[in-house]
Amino acid sequence: MSEQQRYSYENDCKPDENRNKGSSRWSQCRKRGADGSLRKAEEDLGRDQRCSRRPESFTTPESDGPVSRVKNWGDEVEAEEMRSDVRRDMHRYRRRILAVDVPQRDRKLSSGSSDSRDSRDSKDSPGKGDFETDETVLVRRQKQINYGKNTLAYDRYIKEVPKAMREQGVHPKTPNKFKKYSRRSWDQQIKLWRVKLHAWDPPAGDLQQIEEIDLGEIMDFELDVECSADPDSQCASANAASLSLTEDSLTGTPKKMMKMEDAEMS
Amino acid sequence: MEKMENLSKEDYKIQSFDLETQKLLKTALKDPGSVDLEKVSSVIVDQSLKDQIFSREAGRICYTIVQAEAKQSNGSVFRRNLLNRLQQEFKAREETRKRSTQEWVCLVSFICNIFDYLKVNNMPMMALVPPVYDCLFRLAQSDALKNEEEVDCLVLQLHRIGDQLEKMNAPLMDELFNLLRDGFLLQEDLSSMGRLLLLEILEFRAGGWTLSDTAQKYYYSEVTD
Repeated sequence: MSEQQRYSYENDCKPDENRNKGSSRWSQCRKRGADGSLRKAEEDLGRDQRCSRRPESFTTPESDGPVSRVKNWGDEVEAEEMRSDVRRDMHRYRRRILAVDVPQRDRKLSSGSSDSRDSRDSKDSPGKGDFETDETVLVRRQKQINYGKNTLAYDRYIKEVPKAMREQGVHPKTPNKFKKYSRRSWDQQIKLWRVKLHAWDPPAGDLQQIEEIDLGEIMDFELDVECSADPDSQCASANAASLSLTEDSLTGTPKKMMKMEDAEMS
Repeated sequence: MEKMENLSKEDYKIQSFDLETQKLLKTALKDPGSVDLEKVSSVIVDQSLKDQIFSREAGRICYTIVQAEAKQSNGSVFRRNLLNRLQQEFKAREETRKRSTQEWVCLVSFICNIFDYLKVNNMPMMALVPPVYDCLFRLAQSDALKNEEEVDCLVLQLHRIGDQLEKMNAPLMDELFNLLRDGFLLQEDLSSMGRLLLLEILEFRAGGWTLSDTAQKYYYSEVTD
């Protein structure tokens, strides 16, 4: 992998081709006096500062537009991980659909992340190579999927109903992020999927139910989520709407808290 | 010159922590969901700034905790806290260096060790590449090169992660080595050990991040006269 050419940090330090022209900061610093003496202390300090001075924002091909320098490493690495997960999924998916000549109904492969078997969906199976490849879109969709999977309901669902036993229409099926859909269509599929998953929510009256705050719904679409008849889940969504938590405090917390309490209860 | 030790897989080098903290760390390794991961990351960073041995090996225990948390709850609380705390220390690096060279070299070792161990889908964390280079460039300045402690730290990091760093950004590595060449040739207040360390790393990289057999003999074998 060779990312090095694209890093704009290097642009700040202006290495290689400008070096000999003498116009870069680096070559100026390294220029020796006629007597070969060392550069003076101020120049050293200057160079040191130049090395650490960086633009306020920068763009790499991997980021979604300009990335503010203020971003913290924790967030940056999370974003990196999302992108690389999505890229990995894409490679697997591409291999899978290109390899399929005949739909295989009884394939037991669980290669993890593309979430549905296109080989079976004869009516909307993508033409070979014709699927969503825009990383921004894929990352956004994956985040929405993650919100749904990061719930007790999903956990209970997958324990209760193995993939092989799932019936189309009856059991919730994770939307396939690689299929081409409009934004509205995709958002709607996610909503419906989440609603269906609520059927596996832990029994009403649970403390955990109220703590299942889900900002995914706020972040990515309007607040007119159709809730199931379960009053507790409606309560949870309403609470989510009125809370102004940052995404950061949300990430991972519900799942972790739930798991701990789940462990305590069992 | 010291060769790098080969450590057993389970050796996280936590002997320098007090017993209660050792217990906390051991629990974090087995059951991360049951401990305060922010505290754990804080404790690890604090110690790595004080303890030279730990600063060079802390990446391993951090990696194990990250994996354990991901497996247990798909979370990344520990990693996030660790990185953000590390970022704070990085921002304050120049003050740290002024206050204590020891702490500064520990910080650099730790950042580089984290870069080495904490991979994202088996790839190095891109977010750490500029800060790591930043540290190495700082160590290659003339005021740092004259301190054997700093040169030692610099060459250690290059031995361990130089090839990875070069893959991430080759022109920057070229630039760094230009500084090292200049330092070796021109800087008069280098100690002879400092000069030796620089020469070795120059040969090491020139050989594709490995030493030829003859160079290995020259630098590392005991002299028996």
